[in-house]
Amino acid sequence: MHVNSESILSVKNLTKSVQVEDKTLALLQAINLTVTAGESIAIVGSSGSGKTTLLSILAGLDLPSSGQVYLKNQPLHQFNEEQRSHVRAQHVGFIFQQFLLINSLTALENVMLPAELANLPDAQARGEALLAQVGLSDRLDHYPSQLSGGEQQRVAIARAFIAKPDILFADEPTGNLDSKTGQHITDLIFDLNAKEGTTLVLVTHDAKLAARCQRQVEMDSGVLTETSVEQAVTTEHSSVEATQVADSAAESKAVENTASEVG
Amino acid sequence: MKTDNHKASTMWFTQSLRLLHHELRRGELTIIFLAIVLAVATVFSLTGFSGQIKHAIVANSTNTIGADRVLRMSSEIDSHILDKSQSLALKTARKIETESMAFAGDNMLLSELDAVSETYPLRGELRIKTSLTQTESVVANAPKPGTVWVEPSLLSRLGVNIGDVIEIGVAPLTIAGVVTDIPDRSYRAFIAGPTVILNINDMAKTELIQPGSRITYKYLFAGETQAIETFEDWIKPQINEAQRWYDAKAAQNRLSRILDTAEKFLSLASMLGIVLAAVAVAVASRRYGQRHQSTVSIFKALGATISHVRKLYCLHWTLLSCLSIATGLLVGYGLMLLGVNAIASYLSLADSPLTFVPFLTAIFTGLLCAIAFAIHPIMTLVQSSPLNVIRGFSQNKVARLGWHQLPPLLALFLLLFIFSQDLIMSAALLLGGVFVSFILLLFGKGLMSAGRSVGTKAGKSWHLALANLKRRASENSVQLVSFTIAIKLLLLITVMKSSILSEWEQQFPEGTPNHYLINISEAQIAPLKQFAEQNDIANQGFYHVYRGRLSAINGIKTVDEAKEDIQEPSEAASASKEKQAAKKTAQKKSRQGMGRELGLTWRTELPEENEIIAGQWWQVGEDKPQVSIESNIAERLEIKLGDELTFTLGSDEFTVPVTSIRQVNWQSRQLNFIMVFNQSVLEQFPTTSISAWSISDQDRDMVYRFMADFPTITLMDFAAIMAQLNNIIEQVSVAIQLILILVVLAGSLVLIAQVQASMEERERELAILRTLGARGGLLRNSVLFEFVALGGIAGLMASIGMEIAVYILQSQVFNMAGSFHFQYWLVGIGAGAFFVGLIGMLSCWRLLNLSSVTLIRRTM
Repeated sequence: MHVNSESILSVKNLTKSVQVEDKTLALLQAINLTVTAGESIAIVGSSGSGKTTLLSILAGLDLPSSGQVYLKNQPLHQFNEEQRSHVRAQHVGFIFQQFLLINSLTALENVMLPAELANLPDAQARGEALLAQVGLSDRLDHYPSQLSGGEQQRVAIARAFIAKPDILFADEPTGNLDSKTGQHITDLIFDLNAKEGTTLVLVTHDAKLAARCQRQVEMDSGVLTETSVEQAVTTEHSSVEATQVADSAAESKAVENTASEVG
Repeated sequence: MKTDNHKASTMWFTQSLRLLHHELRRGELTIIFLAIVLAVATVFSLTGFSGQIKHAIVANSTNTIGADRVLRMSSEIDSHILDKSQSLALKTARKIETESMAFAGDNMLLSELDAVSETYPLRGELRIKTSLTQTESVVANAPKPGTVWVEPSLLSRLGVNIGDVIEIGVAPLTIAGVVTDIPDRSYRAFIAGPTVILNINDMAKTELIQPGSRITYKYLFAGETQAIETFEDWIKPQINEAQRWYDAKAAQNRLSRILDTAEKFLSLASMLGIVLAAVAVAVASRRYGQRHQSTVSIFKALGATISHVRKLYCLHWTLLSCLSIATGLLVGYGLMLLGVNAIASYLSLADSPLTFVPFLTAIFTGLLCAIAFAIHPIMTLVQSSPLNVIRGFSQNKVARLGWHQLPPLLALFLLLFIFSQDLIMSAALLLGGVFVSFILLLFGKGLMSAGRSVGTKAGKSWHLALANLKRRASENSVQLVSFTIAIKLLLLITVMKSSILSEWEQQFPEGTPNHYLINISEAQIAPLKQFAEQNDIANQGFYHVYRGRLSAINGIKTVDEAKEDIQEPSEAASASKEKQAAKKTAQKKSRQGMGRELGLTWRTELPEENEIIAGQWWQVGEDKPQVSIESNIAERLEIKLGDELTFTLGSDEFTVPVTSIRQVNWQSRQLNFIMVFNQSVLEQFPTTSISAWSISDQDRDMVYRFMADFPTITLMDFAAIMAQLNNIIEQVSVAIQLILILVVLAGSLVLIAQVQASMEERERELAILRTLGARGGLLRNSVLFEFVALGGIAGLMASIGMEIAVYILQSQVFNMAGSFHFQYWLVGIGAGAFFVGLIGMLSCWRLLNLSSVTLIRRTM
């Protein structure tokens, strides 16, 4: 398989479906996408459109039902959990809507974690420097429960950048924050991104946030459309498929609701 | 690259330590830590303590009888026996044991008298000190004629010193030293008083030996195994019912049986603590697994491999286990020292080494608790998918029964077995537990549903509470089983404790006369009678006492249960009927006997407070030999009117028919006898008499002065003996209460762990209810009632479970008849509702007092 040398992430004919009782629900249908190194791309779409499912496959957290995913030229779709862990440790950074800090570790220890997992030297010095950059140098030893939402997300941003990832996945990074704090967090992400030259894949339904990315793609009912450059890849659906897509949308929505409840 | 690899290999180690440090500080591991500490401490202190006691009392087996074999009898030996032993070149020694008063000036003290020959002891060492300042004791045989050695406590209690003269019977004897070790120490001295050892040749001078005196003669034999066995084969057929031939093992068995009963009870009690602690570990680790799902998923999302996570948590758990076990050993050691201290005045454990057994058992217990009960949640945790960071985390998955519950069950069985070394006991507890759990799951769900339909008619808080109970039914079923087991075990302890204590009380009834006069010769009766009359001292007259054995029933020889390797049932609790029936078929040629020598007497008239329930009391002057038997014993030995009973008195034997069965009020102040004969049966035998006097405090000195003129009479102050006994019972109760406290602590840990396990869900629900406008009082009550109802249901089921377990234990382990204990049902239900309600409320207090804004912010 030939891969563009500049592309850091490439997806070919990717599908994802789940079995619910007797029915097969198609969550993603024939997705094709290429992301070049250093690019920032927003995946937009309404709740339940499948954008989060796509993100989890792109980042190597989940496997597609069919199709290929290459991250840094590595065939994630052929990798087992352990191999994908390794790819994530070496190349991937995350920012989540729920922050997802480890409650029993301090802010600094949370930040150090990816660097430690990637065997990088000076994890502590790097962590302290990054926390200073996000304005939390006086909160190193605080536990997540002692921090506000915005502060927690800043810790998460510091954690995302510490291992100098080649690609950063951000899933609704401002979704749990008020607009002012959200703005601040957005600025931080884009500033650090520019400075580190990291590729950014951002999932959001916030049009303003998406507009700050160089490129936007839209997910709708499991189908990806390039909003500016490329047009819809597949347009023809039978009526049966359309129903299935609607079901699948409801399904992913339910999944997302569960996720948001966890807090 | 090399350093990188090295770092990779140690990173999990660093992260694991970091995690443990934070978790401990944040209290996330407190329940698990405390539960393991509790289990380890309980096991260590009890195993260590009982092991040391056993060692101190019985482990020194060759020394417990001071010989290879002992012939014990109530009269002197036939000379041909001694001739035979001499012909086999056996060494022999003689010992006479009795109880008597030791006098020093105006003071007198009941003491245990050991008169020994020059060759005593043949095995083991009698050790004495000739001055109190002497540090090392010396080995001795018998004191020189005219001198005695006494136990140290006698000196202080009589106010005498080494070198002073005390009177034993009518003989003045000089105290030449104190005894530190007696190889064949009689543990009756716990009750009777300190031991006095004198030379056997001084015994005649004391004039204590009179026809019919309560005297035990012991003949000690030792020698080559071959010779001893030849002698044994020769002598055994000659032993009659009134004599006992035993070796160290038999003597040890007798003592062991008593200790084993105590140990069984203690280990049963501590097993409950361990089971509860293990349940707490299981519940807390399940919650731990759920709470840590996010940590593992995040770790994995950030690139941690499964082996990294596995190593991290294995180390984390191992360190936690080690820390808990080490703390548990320390706490257990402290508890054991407390116990050793508490009994120091009765039994010195200084020479009993602490073996490695308690250490190993305790460490093993800790490891089993930490691993077997936590392995499933931890393994599930390690498998958490990184995809959860996107999908969200599943909460409070209902625990289902499955194969993963097998390791904890096996571990539990292993623990119970190692600890009790009693297969039946372990199996009964475990199988009973599993069976009951299954029943409880079904029954509990039923009750909760029933509660739901009742709740719809009850007030709003009850409605909410029972609705919650029903909705959480599956989850509650698991909690309910644990609550039920906790309450059941507590009830079980209470029932066992009260039944054991009541047996003690039945053996030593209160309200008995405060002084017994023993060893009264025929000539002494008249002056004593006169004295009592003159001074208006209430007494019951004088009873002739003969010591004899029931040797046959209807011509069928009786078998002393004590000689078999089964427990000697108390008079109150007879062996189960099935067992008796089984025994009957197995031993058609023998019948169950009393297992001990009886005090026999004759009367012309029916004693007061005795009631004939079958047959007829004899007419005054009726010559035909006959006996009247006490009803409980008649029932136990299956003796009916008209049965012919054969008795052995010394070397004499006689057979009489049963002509009446009496009900005796054992609680009365009467001297009571199991077997009462008419005069013609016993009057030919030599005897002494016994009387029971009620001596008031102001008469005491006067009576004691008078009694000093009759030094051969033993005056037993029953009040003093009772006080000493009560003291012993008190000590035992303290030990039991300590265990109960341990069990309650373990039970509380289970409750708290379970409340914590449902905390997140409760937070969410309360937030919703608050948002909808529910008042604080309504919420508080609904939470309270939910726990109260849960506790009540658990209490009800616990009561049923307790009855089943008690029945199994009574019939299989303690060899008692089964019985119901309905009064404890109320206790179980009430205590369950109160305790679970209280702990539940306390655990939820913080939650209930959070403002709605905080609640909503925390949970939404």
